[in-house]
Amino acid sequence: MNDKHITEVLDNAALAALSPSELDEIRAHVRDCEPCAEAFAAAQLSALVIKQRAQAMIEPSPFFQTRVMAAIREQQAVESVPAFSRLWKSARGLVSSMALTTAALAALSFVVAAPATSSPDQTTAALSAESVIFGQDADDLTYEQVMNAIYEDDEDR
Amino acid sequence: MEGWLTKITTNTCLNMLRGSKRRPELTVSDLSDEEDQWLEDTLTDSGQPSVENSVVAADLADRLLSVLSPEDQQALLMIDGEQASVKEVAEATGWSESKVKVRAFRARKKVREAMERLLGAKQEPATSESR
Repeated sequence: MNDKHITEVLDNAALAALSPSELDEIRAHVRDCEPCAEAFAAAQLSALVIKQRAQAMIEPSPFFQTRVMAAIREQQAVESVPAFSRLWKSARGLVSSMALTTAALAALSFVVAAPATSSPDQTTAALSAESVIFGQDADDLTYEQVMNAIYEDDEDR
Repeated sequence: MEGWLTKITTNTCLNMLRGSKRRPELTVSDLSDEEDQWLEDTLTDSGQPSVENSVVAADLADRLLSVLSPEDQQALLMIDGEQASVKEVAEATGWSESKVKVRAFRARKKVREAMERLLGAKQEPATSESR
């Protein structure tokens, strides 16, 4: 610690909160370091005046009590309003603008852009493997027809 | 209930402090004769503990604190003056504990530097006179 300046130690905690070993180290350091000795003297005086200031009885201004009571009433008024109402009050603008944007987007999607559907003539009928093999739509075949077709193929071979 | 009331009172004090004038820097010429004498006596260990001296010291503290922001004043007075813990200050003000530590560190440093400047300025004439 003797090589390190002690100003940071002085600023880190109140002098009264420093341990005896820390104070011994500070005293050892300031014997050889003039800037730190000045800082330590200033820190001691500052601590002394601040302690005196905290101990001094101060008569509050006549308006102090009024202001505290006003703050209490204000706080109570805020707390008496239900949480949802408070939330709604603060988020009302945002929710309204979001709803408007959603409505505008919906209008653009469904009303402005006309549906471009293809005509039934242009659609190509999808052909399943069954309809190619059996020459008709697979949905129209019964189970027996399918089985017969399979066994007939086997007999041909 | 006590914590709630403490928080409201602390915030009211902070609001009142925000309205008070803040000095960017403190010089020896800002000190009253009594404060100047108190510093002199304390430096030479000739000051006697008395009610009057305590009042002068408290006034000097007010001057030193006036270089700080109201929040820094609050943190320093509670921790260094009233020996409150960081946690207690955090609860009373609604700040996080790390914020309290940072404010107290910054306040302590500023006040110490202001005091160092005052002491330096007081010692300068003495050294020039001795030459």
